[in-house]
This record gives sequence, C-alpha cells and structure tokens, in this order.
Amino acid sequence: MNRRDVLKLGGLGLCGVGTLDLIRAQAVAAASNAKAKHMIVCWLGGGPPHTDMFDMKPNASEEYRGIFKPIQTNVVGLQVGELLPQLAARADKYTVIRSVTTDNKPGDHARAPLYWNTGNPRLPTGTDAYPMYGSVVSKLRPGPAELPTFAVLDEIDVHTHNELSSSFIGPAYSPFIMNPMKDKDAVTKMLTPQLEMPAFDKNADLLKLLDTKLRRLDKQDEVVAGLDQNQQTAFNLLRSPKLRQALDISREPVKSIERFTRNKPTKAKYPIGDPLHFLLARRLVEAGVPVVHFNLGYWDWHGDNFTAGKQQIPMFDSGLAALLDDLEMRGLLDSTIVLALGEMGRKPKIDNPKAAGAGRDHWDYAQFVIAAGGGFNRGCVVGATDKLGERVTDKFYKVESFGRTLYHLLGIDPDTVVNTPANRPVKLIVEDAPIIKEAIA
Amino acid sequence: MLVRALSFLVLLAVPGFARAQGTPIPSLRGIGQASQVDTPIPSLRGIGQASPTDTPSYQRHVAALFSKFGCNGGTCHGAVKGQAGFRLALFGGDPAGDHARLIREFGARRLNFSDPNASLLLMKATGQADHGGGVRLRAGSAEYEVLRKWIAAGAVADDAARSRLKELRVSPTETVTKPGETYRLKVEARFADNTTEDVTAFCSFESLDRTVANVDDSGKVTGIGVGDAGLMVRYRAHPAAARVIVPQAATTALPDVKPNNFIDTHVLAKLKRLNLAPAAVCDDATFLRRVHLDVTGELPTPDQVRAFLADAAADKRAKKIDELLTKPGHADLWALKFCDLLKAADFGVYADALSLEADAPRFQAWIRARLGENTPYDVFVERILLATSKEGRSMEEYAAEVKALFEGYSPGRPDLEIYSKRRTLDLFWQRRGSDGVTGTLQVAHAFLGLRLECAQCHRHPHDNWQQEDLLDFANFFMRVRTVGFGGDNEKKFPDAAAFYKKFNDDAKALEADVKKRKERTTAKDAEAITDAFKAETAAMEKRAKMMPEVARRIMQAECRLLPPGKDAKVTSTLGTRESKTYRLLGESEGVAVPADRDPREFVVAWMRKPDNPFFAKAIVNRVWAHYHGRGIIDPPDNLSAFNPATHPELLKELCDGFVKSKYDLRWLHRTILNSRTYQQSSTPAEGSATDRANYAYFPVRRLPAEVLLDAMNTATGTTEKMDMKYQHWPDEMTAVQVPFMPKNPFVAFVLENFGRPRRNAAVQCDCERDGSGSIFQVLTMANHPRMWEKIKEPTGRVAKLAKATSDESSKIDELFLATLSRLPSEAERDACVRFLKVAATTEKGLQSVMWSLVNTREFLLQH
Repeated sequence: MNRRDVLKLGGLGLCGVGTLDLIRAQAVAAASNAKAKHMIVCWLGGGPPHTDMFDMKPNASEEYRGIFKPIQTNVVGLQVGELLPQLAARADKYTVIRSVTTDNKPGDHARAPLYWNTGNPRLPTGTDAYPMYGSVVSKLRPGPAELPTFAVLDEIDVHTHNELSSSFIGPAYSPFIMNPMKDKDAVTKMLTPQLEMPAFDKNADLLKLLDTKLRRLDKQDEVVAGLDQNQQTAFNLLRSPKLRQALDISREPVKSIERFTRNKPTKAKYPIGDPLHFLLARRLVEAGVPVVHFNLGYWDWHGDNFTAGKQQIPMFDSGLAALLDDLEMRGLLDSTIVLALGEMGRKPKIDNPKAAGAGRDHWDYAQFVIAAGGGFNRGCVVGATDKLGERVTDKFYKVESFGRTLYHLLGIDPDTVVNTPANRPVKLIVEDAPIIKEAIA
Repeated sequence: MLVRALSFLVLLAVPGFARAQGTPIPSLRGIGQASQVDTPIPSLRGIGQASPTDTPSYQRHVAALFSKFGCNGGTCHGAVKGQAGFRLALFGGDPAGDHARLIREFGARRLNFSDPNASLLLMKATGQADHGGGVRLRAGSAEYEVLRKWIAAGAVADDAARSRLKELRVSPTETVTKPGETYRLKVEARFADNTTEDVTAFCSFESLDRTVANVDDSGKVTGIGVGDAGLMVRYRAHPAAARVIVPQAATTALPDVKPNNFIDTHVLAKLKRLNLAPAAVCDDATFLRRVHLDVTGELPTPDQVRAFLADAAADKRAKKIDELLTKPGHADLWALKFCDLLKAADFGVYADALSLEADAPRFQAWIRARLGENTPYDVFVERILLATSKEGRSMEEYAAEVKALFEGYSPGRPDLEIYSKRRTLDLFWQRRGSDGVTGTLQVAHAFLGLRLECAQCHRHPHDNWQQEDLLDFANFFMRVRTVGFGGDNEKKFPDAAAFYKKFNDDAKALEADVKKRKERTTAKDAEAITDAFKAETAAMEKRAKMMPEVARRIMQAECRLLPPGKDAKVTSTLGTRESKTYRLLGESEGVAVPADRDPREFVVAWMRKPDNPFFAKAIVNRVWAHYHGRGIIDPPDNLSAFNPATHPELLKELCDGFVKSKYDLRWLHRTILNSRTYQQSSTPAEGSATDRANYAYFPVRRLPAEVLLDAMNTATGTTEKMDMKYQHWPDEMTAVQVPFMPKNPFVAFVLENFGRPRRNAAVQCDCERDGSGSIFQVLTMANHPRMWEKIKEPTGRVAKLAKATSDESSKIDELFLATLSRLPSEAERDACVRFLKVAATTEKGLQSVMWSLVNTREFLLQH
C-alpha cells in the first residue's frame, strides 16, 4: 500500500466517508471474531459429476442415474455415491451445498473457475482481474511473517492453469505456486536456501556490509522501506525451518501417508492430481499458512465418466476424509474452512448411456460444494435439485453469496472497498448477495 | 495571508464542464487576485440573498448537499437500483429525476410537508431512523435547516436554467501556511442569471496530499507537514482547485544552485517557495548508470564506466545523453513502453487469421522502426490513428503484401521488415476491442492521457466527462470496420471477396497438384523422384495451407472505412444511450464531417492544434514520469481538472517547447535528461527528505521487470534462451525486446513476478505495469536456483574472473563495475577481499560477492 493508494482509498471510500484507516479498522475488527483462521480449497477442476457423488438420484431412469448406487451416510436423510464410503462415515463433519451454481453466467471452463475462485464474474479478458480469496487474505489479513499467506500446490485449475494468480491488487499478493512433490519444482527450491545455512548467513552478512549506500533512505522512502521489509521477511522465511518442514513429507509417518494414498489408482484415464496435496495442505495449515489451494486432477469427463469415477472418486474420498480426520484430531477443523468443489456439475442425462465410454457433458445449472470447518455447519444439506438433478429447486444462491459467506467466516468484510486499476472503487464481492446462512453454524 | 494567483492551474477547468453549461469556457482568470484580507467563516445565513425569498433552492442547495454528503455515490443511493428503495442519479447526473423520485415515491413519508422534521429524508440522514449509510447530518445543523426549510416551503424544484453555473471561484487559490495553522477556503458561484452566491457550505473538499494539509467539510484548511498539496473543491459536480504550500521552517540559507535549463528554473523556484534545499548533483558513475538504464534499458559495461570516469570533458554528460538517444536500446525500450500503452497483444478475434505469435512482433517492429527514425510524435500518432490496410493502394498490391507477410512468418522473420516499412500501423485497428466506443477509450487513454471509462455508463465521478462527451467523440471512430468474421463480409466488400475467392481457388488447385505429386512419390517408379521434387512438393503443400489464411485475413481483417451510418452507442445496467454528433473532447460545438472524409482526420488535426489541451501534455507528462517516477500531473494518465499539476508552468513550457520542436521526442528526452533536476543525487539535502513531489532529490524506483532481468544477465555474463524457436524468434534476445511472454519458464516467471503488464485491452491504465515489491521478488533474486546457476555459470563473469590472473582487489573492482557500475569504496573492497581470503575457493568467494551485489538496493533500484 503506497501513499497514492492511501489517498485514492481515502477519497473514494464507501459512501464517501471511508478512509483507509477506517477500512483497515473494520477488517481488523471483523478478523478478531473470525471463525476461520485458515482455508483449504480442494479444487476439482473440470466439474465433478454431482449426481454420481453428493446429489444422488436413485429414482431417476437408468440413462440419468448411471451405475453408481447411493449409500447411507451417518447423517439421517443424506445419501452419497457408493464410491465415497469414508466421507459417508464422516458426513456429520461437513455441509453439502446443492444450490449454488454459476447458472451459466459465466459458465464454461474458461470462465467459471474465475468466477468461483473470486466470487465475482471475472472473465479472461474484458473485465477487471478480481483477486482470489487467498490474495485478498494476503492483503488484508496476512499470516505469520516467515510463511507465505497464500499457497497453491501444483496449479490453480486444470483448464485455466494459473491465469487466476494475477489480479488487480498486484503481484505482491499473488499465491506462492509450487509443487513440492515434483523434484524439479523451481519455486519449492526457491523456498529452501540454495546454500547451507552458515554459508547463507555469511552471504547475507556480506550483503549487509555492501548494501549501505541507499540505506539512509529506509525510513523516508516507501520503495526502499518496502524492499527492506520484503528482504527481511524473505530471509526469515529461508532461515525458518517451519515452511521447509511443513513441505517435507518424509517427516510424516508412513502409516499416515498411506491413508491419503491408499486409493491412488495405478492406471488412470485422466490426470488424477496428487492425493498428497491433501496432506501437504494440512501440514501447511498446521504450520500456520492461512490459505492453501490445490487442483486435484481432471474432472471433465465427457467420455468414460464411470471409468474415471471408479479411478478418481475413491482417491478423493480417502484424501478428503483423512484431511478432515487430521484437522479434527488437531483441533483445527473449527478454525479451518475445508472446501471441495469444481466449477460446474455434470449433465444428469448421460450421453450414449449404452456406449462403452459413456460420459456426462458440462452442466452449469447444478453442482455440489462440500464445505467443512471454519464455521460451516456439520452434517447439513443446503438446497435441493429437481428429481433428475438438473435444476436447483430450493435455496438457490449465486456464487457471490458463496464468496460473501467465505469472507464472512474469514472475518473480512466483503463490502470492503478496493480500487481497480481504472480507479473505480469496488467491493471485494461487487454484487450484493445474501450470505448462505443455512450453511453456517 | 499570502495569496498568489495561479491562473494556469485554475484555467485547467475542464472544457467539458463549460460545455455542460452551454456557455463558453468560463473565465477564471483573475481569481484570487482580490486581496484575501479576512475570509469570513462560511455562513449559511446568507442563503437566498440572491433570491427574493429566504427559501433554499433545490438546484443550488439541496441537490448540492446530496453530492456533498455522498448520498448519490455508487455504493449508496447512486447505485443502479438505489439503496433501500431510494435511488438518486449517480453523482448527481439527473437533478430533475432525483427531485421527482423524492416527491413522488414512498407516499408522503419521504418528504413530510406538514411536519418537515418527520420527513424520512431527515430522519434517516440524521440517524433518527435506521440508516444503512449512518449519520450524515446533525439535526439542527445549518445543512439540516436548509433541507428542512426547503421541505417546509413545499420542496419545489426551481428553474434549472437560472441556476446553471457560469463560474466557480475558490479563494485563496494559493496559500502559504504552517503546520498547525488554519485558514478557510471560500467558494463563490456565479449563475446563469448573473447572481453570485457564497456556496462554500454546499461544497465538498478534498486534500490531494493529507501529509501536507487537511481540509474539512466546511473548507477549513489545516497545515500538517512540509510540501504542497492540491485542494479539490466540488460544488455539485463541478471542480475548482486551490493549492496550499507548507514551507520548511527556515534554518540556514538555501544553497545557491545554478539551473542547467528552464526545467531547473521552475523546479528550483518551487523548492525555494517550500524552503527546501535541492540535492547535490550526483556523481559521474551514478549518472552514467542512471542514464544508461533510463535511456537504453541497459547497464553500462565496466569499460564504459571506466572510460566515462576518465573523460575530463566538461560536456561529457550532454555528449553521453546524445550518444545514448541514438542507440538501438533506446528504441527498444520505448517500443516496449508504446506496446504496453497501445496493448500490442490482443490479436485474433475469429476467422481473421491474426495471431499474437505473428502480429505482436510486427506491431512492435513497426513502432520500433518509427522510434529508430525519430519520427515526429505527431506524425507517429497520425500514422497510427489514420491507418488503413490498403493505404490508398490497389487491392492487388495490398493482397501481395498480406501474402508476403504470411510467407515471412518463417525463420529470421522477414515479415517484420516488410511490416515495419508500411506507412501506417493497421494492426492498431485490427486488435480485439479496438473498434467502437471501447476503441475510443483506448485512443483517449493512449494519446490524450484521459480516463473516460466511467463515462461509458455514467457521469465521471472524478472528472467532468459525461456520456455524451464520450459518445460524440467516439463517432469519429465508428466508421472503422470491426475486425472479424461477418456473415455478409463477402457481399459488403466485393473487392476483397474477389481475392478471397482467388486465393482459396489457388489453394485448391495447389492441393490437387500436391496430391498428384504425392501419388507419384509412392508409385512404383518412386526411386526416380528426386529430393528436389519432394522439397518442391513440401513447399507447395505449405503454400496450399497458407493461401486460405491469406484469403481470410484479406476478407475478415482489412482495416478500412465503412460508409457513414453507425452511431456511437453504449448499453449498461444504467440504460442505453447513443449519439449522432461528431464533437471533439472539450469542444462545445460539433463538427460537420463530409461523408467522403475520414472522420479520424479531424481528430488528428485537432490534436495538432498547438493549444490542444491534452495531446502534447499527455506524452510530455508520460516521458517526464518515465524519468522521474511520477508525472507533473500524476498519475500521468489522468489529465483532469480534478488532478492538478504540481508544476503547471514547467509542464506548459515543456509542452510549448515540444510543439515548437515539431514534436521531436528526442528533444524532449534530451531536455529532461540535461536538466540538473534529473541529474540530482537520490540522497536528499539536509531537511529535504520529506519531499515527495517537488524534485528536491532524485526519487528511487525499482527497475522494471525486463530491464532488471537484462541487468542480471549482463552482470553475470549470461543469457537466457527464450525457447521460442517454433515462433521463429532469434535465440539471442533481451527481455526488453520480447514481443510477448516467452516460453522459457524462468523468464516468464521473472517477468510476471516483477510486474510486466498483460497488455489487456480492457485495462486503460499506465498502472497496469506494477512497480511494487514482493517477497517473491526477493526470493527470486536471492534464492532462485536459476539465479544461482547464472552466478555459477562456467562461461559467466564470475568463472572467467576467477581464472583471470589479476589480483583480488581488481577482481572485486570488476564485479562492482559490472553490477553497481562504480568502483568499491576502500571499506567495501577490504570487506570483500577479507571475504575471499576465508572462502573455500576464490571462485566461491567471488560468487558470494556477486550474489551480494545483485541483491543490494543499489542494484535493484534506479537511483
């Protein structure tokens, strides 16, 4: 935040009175009674089939219901697909939301991921680049200095990749995108000192000796002061073992790891993602990272919906179940939002149901969101779809409502005003929309 | 109290404002010349003095209060659907409609004539009834009384014509004050009926720099800290500006500093008024590094530094400036800047055979060629704005050019040379979103420094532009054909359709030939087929694939003028508006455009008028901002009456000189670079450190993404392969030269994280290039594996130096020259030599020194 921003904000605050201080004060006041201190987003890029997973329609005809049978969960009245036995046994830990959709505006894989992950109808071009939730947290409620506030494992989304990483609030709040499970991942390596600690410290000492010429500007110039502050933070991050230890899976007991990987298919039709990202997300949150987001493979099953389902859904089931168990056991679930969702559902009517590689098309009018922890209800279902699973019939909410609910739980006022590059003051979630009160405890 | 007339600043009063009044530009000259003996505390008692009764006027008072209290803001009742059932036109755009809604809606509860105090309007504003916007008004306050009296008198909307604003005067216009001291601004309005009224109580006030002074709702200014600040006054939607100066408390006499040129005269005069001492002139090494990076985007080499330091000539700085301005790097750097500004990225709509890979480099090559030739800026802009694809040539000649361009998309990219020889840049108009009203926004932003996006939907909240200003201006560009597939294009453009058919037919014939030739190569006597024959077949096949592309580009993307008939129109949540008028920005009269003329010519002719209020100013201000980190008007792309210049006389003299030089960009660069102001040290003189906007010292800024990466390469003696062979890029290319984001993941990572803009046509803002810092940037420079590889590169600078026979001190000297472009101090040299002595090997030690140097502020910053 430089001086110009301060002035901009000061002049253009909410209803003309808000100054930056006021906004900060609001944000901080809200944060202090925030339920959620962390958020983990398991992004199912491409759009998982809602009627095969969390919105079963056993009474629909065969060309709709497909081959997967429903099973009873430990919550009365809630059934899930048979490939989700572990999550069925833990349905009392999460809320199933069946009534938030993009309603086809803006739908498709190029646009819906941008909408869902920002809470605003961001488009690839032609609109302002609204920030992701984690970027906003980085700006308004950053975490511990020696850790990144917003980490992305592997990539944000399977179709738009990391297009969402940059936003109009600037690269300083972009996510740390890394894949510690890949040997050659440059960013992960960047988080570990390239030199052994004594050598690094010696170099840092030499740097201090040589970096004196503009030092006197530290106190008077925000560019230099910012540089200095960032350097200190970055070096703290390198010196602190916290992040490295969190990313070091070898510190995890083998038995523990096995809970995440047990259903990992050896052969798969589509990219499946890495189930260890559930574990890494937990380890990062445990270390103190506020927001972790990862894409879990490819869920755009136009063909082989049922083959892919058999391969990928069980892995998702065990991964998410283990994550919920771990967070619960560590007393972190109440302060950590855990989400699992994609940008759409899949078409309840199967294409060529008789064909070997039967698939389901895109479906923007119904889908599921799994939301646990951080103030979300336990053992709860919000909304309903019609008897085929095609349209929302109860408690329809827009994506804006979903976004506002997240900010609400994270203790950030969704009406906080930020300025776009064109100097237009906008709220974090531009459109007014009610929060999903049925979903929160 | 001291009062100075700042007539230039006040004359900035935006022409759009004048036109909105239907009167000529109101003369604001002379304001503030009246002596400001004692400003009375603004009193609301005087209201209505100009009218026969004591009744407040809706037009003059009530509507003004809605703006003053922010009731009609976008997040309040100015929202599309209003707020809590009450809607006001956004930013007071429609007072008559607001009045109707006040009177008619909500029964009689909103305004209660029998018991005005019980009116919801007052109950809510005072917080007596629940109000989402909080308490805006104190019951019984003067403003409350105005509203109450108005309701009691029947809430009549008086004649709007009589209350049209003719002149808005704020006094005093410039005041010198001290921290803690206060004074009052007085605002007087002269209306169409020639009455004058003190409207201070109905204005909102804003200090543009609250570290210098604050101004409260009543117009009371309080000095805070040293500096100067614009004070913006708004009455209804109209601006007036004043300035406050808080000088440094006098300690010792200011040093007597000699100006290099007129820039310094203005800058030093202002500093004198502020009682701030200017910084000393920077040393030669700092100057050389600064001017190299700023003019060519490149670090000087160690030899260049040594030679410059050894040069005893008194005019060596001026000579160096002249030399650098003709270097290829200078054209490269400004091609980068203009490609950012002109959004040289959005290519390929649908079926138009345009692409980022082929066309962004052509766009860049054209810009670069013009800059290399030092084309006068007005001609440069003319050749962009008046571009057509054919440029008056026959369809045949144009078709041949398109074909040559496609053929040239091959190793060595000969198409770049072909394209850069074109007279006009038709690619500017072939970009996505370059047509219609959105295209007009880009033109206004790029060439006039104006931000008009707001006016697409509503009156600009921080400027005087209204929707009709934008639409009337957009009409000059509405005849430019929209690029992309249109079902009836073949019917509409028969000349292009003929070539479309011919080239598609050629392709089919070629395909048939290729098929026959291929059959022969697989026939029994295939041994007889020579390699030459096969190569020829392959070439024919390539051509057969290319010809339909050529055809499509000619058919769907030719930039040409359509017959008149399409009018500028915008549709938003606030409704649809259109215009048939051609009117230039800020002009009160429309222009008659004959059907046989390109309407864009009128825009260019208007831009070229020496008194054009925006054209020269926009580029002069941007070039200034490039060298000083901020514009004389800042942000530099926001020329507006609401955004006053810090040094209006300097800006005017620079603009006049630029126009007089026949828009010679190099004159502009040279003049700025030769000033003492540019050559000052970044270390402020004693007591001047608080200055931000008055050039008491050279302001530091982070090196731009591309320049920084190139500097890192030069310093370490390494290069980056861009990994763009498939797009026919050369292997060796600097980051400044890349036409779009390359595939090399490290380069892309660095450019993205250090803020290279995406050149998104939807973002009209110079701020798209991000100059801020982040932890990521530090980690990249300090700990990215690739950075370490560069430092350790076996053919790099450190490795070569380690093998050299020179002694340790001279090795250290060399590293300093290669990174910080200066020799080390004794202490620095000693520290490094000591470090080398305890290092495992000299090479390892030198690597550490290199690492330290490239992570210093001195390396990362322009200083």
